[in-house]
Amino acid sequence: MKKTTIFFTGLLTLLCFMAEAQEKGSVLIKNATVLTVTNGTLENTDILVENGIIKRIGTGLSAGNIPTIDANGKFVMPGIIDAHSHVALDAVNEATAPITSEVKMADVVNPYDIGLYRALAGGVTISHAMHGSANAIGGENITLKHRYGSGNPEDLYMKEAPRTIKFALGENPTRVHGRGNGIQPRSRMGVEAVIRNGFNEAIQYKKAWKEYEDAKKVKGATPIPPKYDTRLQTLADILDGKVIIHCHSYRADEIYALINTCRDFGITNIVFSHVNEGFKVAPELAEYTMGASVFADWWAYKFEVYYSTAYNAAILTENGVITSINSDSGELIRHLYHEAGKAQRYGELDDDQTLALITINPAKQLGIADKVGSIEEGKQADLVIFNEHPLSVYAIPQMTFVDGVKYFDINEDNDDMRLKVSAAETVEPIFLKEHDHRCMHGVDFFFTNFGRNLFDHSH
Amino acid sequence: MNLLSKFRMQLGVTVLLVSLHFSTTIAQSDPTGERRVTGTYAIKNATITTSPGTTVTNATILIKDGLIQAVGSNVPIPKEAQVINADSLYIYPGFIDGASTAGVSKPAEVDRPSDFNPSNPPDEVAGITPWRTVLDYYDGKNSQVADWRKVGFTIAQVVPEGGMLPGKAAVVVLGSASSTNVIAQNTALMAKFRGMGRGMYPGTQLGVMAKFRDLYKNASYSAEHGRLFASTAGLQRPEINKTYEAFYAVLDKNIPVLFEVSNDLEIRRALKLQKENGFNIVLAGVNEVDAVIEDIKAANAKVLLSFKLPDDKVTKSKVEDKSEEIQNRTKRVIEAYELALKQAALLEEANIPFAFGSMGARSADLHKNLKIMVENGLSEKTALAALTTNAANILGIQKFAGTLEKGKLANMVIMTDPIFSESAQIKHVVADGYIFDYDVSKKKSNGNEEASVEIEGSWEYVSDTPAGSSGGTMDIKKEGDGYKGTITYDNPAGGGKASSEMKDINISGNYMTFSFGVSAGGMSLDVTVSGDIQGDEFSGNMSLADFGSFPLNATKTPKQR
Repeated sequence: MKKTTIFFTGLLTLLCFMAEAQEKGSVLIKNATVLTVTNGTLENTDILVENGIIKRIGTGLSAGNIPTIDANGKFVMPGIIDAHSHVALDAVNEATAPITSEVKMADVVNPYDIGLYRALAGGVTISHAMHGSANAIGGENITLKHRYGSGNPEDLYMKEAPRTIKFALGENPTRVHGRGNGIQPRSRMGVEAVIRNGFNEAIQYKKAWKEYEDAKKVKGATPIPPKYDTRLQTLADILDGKVIIHCHSYRADEIYALINTCRDFGITNIVFSHVNEGFKVAPELAEYTMGASVFADWWAYKFEVYYSTAYNAAILTENGVITSINSDSGELIRHLYHEAGKAQRYGELDDDQTLALITINPAKQLGIADKVGSIEEGKQADLVIFNEHPLSVYAIPQMTFVDGVKYFDINEDNDDMRLKVSAAETVEPIFLKEHDHRCMHGVDFFFTNFGRNLFDHSH
Repeated sequence: MNLLSKFRMQLGVTVLLVSLHFSTTIAQSDPTGERRVTGTYAIKNATITTSPGTTVTNATILIKDGLIQAVGSNVPIPKEAQVINADSLYIYPGFIDGASTAGVSKPAEVDRPSDFNPSNPPDEVAGITPWRTVLDYYDGKNSQVADWRKVGFTIAQVVPEGGMLPGKAAVVVLGSASSTNVIAQNTALMAKFRGMGRGMYPGTQLGVMAKFRDLYKNASYSAEHGRLFASTAGLQRPEINKTYEAFYAVLDKNIPVLFEVSNDLEIRRALKLQKENGFNIVLAGVNEVDAVIEDIKAANAKVLLSFKLPDDKVTKSKVEDKSEEIQNRTKRVIEAYELALKQAALLEEANIPFAFGSMGARSADLHKNLKIMVENGLSEKTALAALTTNAANILGIQKFAGTLEKGKLANMVIMTDPIFSESAQIKHVVADGYIFDYDVSKKKSNGNEEASVEIEGSWEYVSDTPAGSSGGTMDIKKEGDGYKGTITYDNPAGGGKASSEMKDINISGNYMTFSFGVSAGGMSLDVTVSGDIQGDEFSGNMSLADFGSFPLNATKTPKQR
C-alpha cells in the first residue's frame, strides 16, 4: 500500500511537470533592468507576459491574477539562442553517404535529455539541433524550444521556424567518405563537386516531376510517376529558397567556394558555422550570406582550424556580417553569455552588439527573428533573469522562461531534474566526453582502419 | 544363490522388461510428439477455462485429430479415445505468442559486390529484404520452440531476423515435429529501427526512417505504374523491384507492419511513420507505454507487450544509512521500476487490448513475470486474454484459436493449479492435438523454508545454439552467504576452452540465475543463464544480449570421495 502511494505521488509530480510543458504562461516581471537587445537598455522596467507573448513593456504595469516577480536589481535579457547544437538528439550523423538530405533530425529528438535542462540553466531557450558534419550535405535540422518536461518530441519543435539543413566542408566529409570509404569526396574540390552534382541532379528531378504533373493535367493521359526521392526533393527545396543552409566550415577558400556555388545556383539562404577564417572573407559573407556562427576562442583541434583569432566575431560584426556565437557542445551551451563576453573582451563590441551574438543574430540565422531574439511587444516571451549584467563574469542565470512558462529557477533547482530514470540502474552511464563538440558524433567507427583515432577532439 | 532367489530375480527382470515395453506401447504421448496411437483424447473431470472469465468445473474436453469436438460436463467418450484423468487439473486455452524468434535463424550474410559502395548498398546487403519469408529460416524442431511450448505457448507468429526490413512473418502452431505446422504465411511485414550498422546506408535511426519513407512512397508509385501498365497500351514496362512489391500487401492494408520498438520514443517514431503513410501497425517488443497511451489509441495500433521486466536491483537495497542524495536517487529508480511493472495494468486501464510477444525474452521468465504484472494491477482475466483471445484477434486467427470451444484447434495448457497461483505448474501442453507431458516437481516450499537445492559442486552442461551444440563445466563453491563459480566454454577465438567467472549467482527456491562475460572479437558479450534445478539436473536457458536465448542443460558430476 505504502509503495503504491509513493509510486502515485511520483507519477503525479511527473505528470504535472509534463502537463506544464504544453502551456503558454503569463507572468509580470517588475522593476528589472531590461536588455532588449534591439531597443537598448531600459532601467526599472516591467514586462507583462500573457499567454506566452510579451504583451507590454513599460513602468508601473499591473496585471490581474498572474504571478508577479520582483526583479529589482536584476537583469532581464531575451532567451539565448544557440544556432549550432546537438543537444537532445538520439543520433547525430547518418555518416554513410556524402549526401543525406533526406534524413531529419526531428525524427530523433530525445526530449528527456538532461542537456536541455542544463541549457535552460544557462539561459538558453532555443537550440538548433543539427545533423553532424560527416557528410557534404547532411540532414534537415530542427529548431527546438526548450520546453523541458514533455515526453513528446513534437512539443519541443519550434513549428514556426523555417526548415534548415546541415552542409559540411573540408576535413570531416573528405575523411569519412574519401579516406574512410574510398568514394568522393576525397578533397575540398570533391566536396564542391558533390554539392554541385547534387544541385544539378535536383534540377533534373524537379523537371521530371513537373513534366509528370503537367502531363497528368491532360485529359485521358496516363503518365507514369517518376521515382520519388526525398534526398533530391530536399535539394530542390533548397534551390527554391525553402530551406536555410547551415554549413560547417573553417577555411576562407572553402567558404568562398561555397558562396560561389550558391551564387551559381541562386541560393541566398546560407549561414556558415564555425567559420574560423571568416575574418578573411568578411565582406563576402556580409554581401552574399545570412551570416556566420562562430566560436569565441576555440581552435587548433585539427589542421584546418589553426588559422584562427579571438577577434573573429568582432571583425565579422564590424564588417556587417550577421554574427552569432554557438556552442556545438552540451557544456558550452551552459554559458554562451560568457562566450559572448569573450568576444567583447577581445573585440571591444558594445553590449548590444555582444548580446546580439547570442540572441537576435542567431534568431535571424534561423529565420525566427520576427518571433524571438529580443524583448519587444508581440514577441514570444522567452526570457532570462540574471543576477548581474549577463556579460559580467559574475553573471548567473536566476530564472529562464520559454513562452512565458518558467522552466528553470535557481531556487527550485533540485538535485535530480531528470525526466526519465532507468528502472534498473542506480547509476546510469554518463558520457564523460559530453563537453566535446559533437559534430562528428558516432563516426569514430570510420577511422578505426587507420590504426588510431585521428582526432580525439571530434568537432 | 538358491534357485528360488534366482527365479525371483528373473521374474523381477521380466516384469521390469514387460513394464518398460508396456509403457512404451500404450504411452498417451511421447515428449517428442513424433508418434501417437490415436488422435482422439478425452481429458476428464478438469476445471476448464474455456475463455478468459468463463470457467466450467468437472468438465471433459474431447479432441480429435487436432480439433476440439466437445467441452462440457456430459461429453460421451468414444472408444478410441485415450482418456486422461484430469481430476484436480486446470485447463486453459493454449497461449499465443504475438512475435517470436524461437526456431528462427539469422540468414547468412550476403556477400558484398566487388563494386560495393557503402553509401548505396544493394538492398539485400543493407538489411532490406522484405520479400523474405521467415518460414525459410524457421525450424520447428529447434529446441527453442520446445522451450516456449513448455511454458504454454501453442501458436506463435514467428518473425524474421535481419536488418531494418528483414521479411515477412508467419503464424505456426507449436505441434508435432512431423508437420510443417504453418497456419498462415506472410502475416505481417517486419520492420526495425536498426540498420546493419554504421558501415553502410542506412546506418542510424535517421537513415532508417528516411529509407522507410522512401521505400514506402516508391512502392506506392511502383504499384500505380503496374496498374497503369496492365490497363493501358503504349506505356513503358514497369521495372520489377521485389522490395517494392513486398510492400504491396501493406499498401492494400492486407497485412500490417510489425514494428519492433524498444522504448516510448521508438513507439512515437513508429507511430509517426504510420501517421504519415497510413498503414496498419502492430507494435512489438513494447514496454514503456505510460507516456504514449493516447498516441497508441489514436493510431489504433495493436500492441504486443514484451514480458521482459527489468531486474529488481533496487527495491531491497538498504540505503537508510546512505546520503540523502543516494536515498532520493534510489527512490526514483524504485519508482521507475514499479512503473515498469505496471505497464500491462496501464494498458488494461486504458482499454487497449494487448497480447504478448516473446521476442528478446526468456521462456523461464514468462510465468514469473506474469505473476508480477498481476501483482501490479493487471487483472487475471486480462492477463489470460493477452495470452489467448487478444493475441488471436491481433493475429486474425480468432475463428479457430484463442478459446476452448467445439471446432477450435486443440491447443491448451493443463496445469496443476490455477494459472496465476504460486504453485501452478504445467503438466501437459496440447498443441495441434498433440499432447506434450512435463514433469511436475514436488510443490515448492513456500514461505520461510528455502528449498534446499545444493548447487555447490561441479556441473557439466550442454547448450544448443543455431551454431551447434557446445558445452563445458561449471564449478560452484559456497563463499560466505553467496556462491562463487567458474564456467568454461568453447573459446570464441578458436582452439580449446576459455573460462570466465560466474557473476551474480542467485538462488530463489529451485530457480538459479547467474551471468558471465565472454570476450569475442574485441567485443564483450554478457551472457545470462537461468533455470530450474531438480536434484542434480539443471534445465534452463542461456541468453546472449541481442542474439537470443538458447537452452542450457547441466548435470552435476557425482562427488568423488
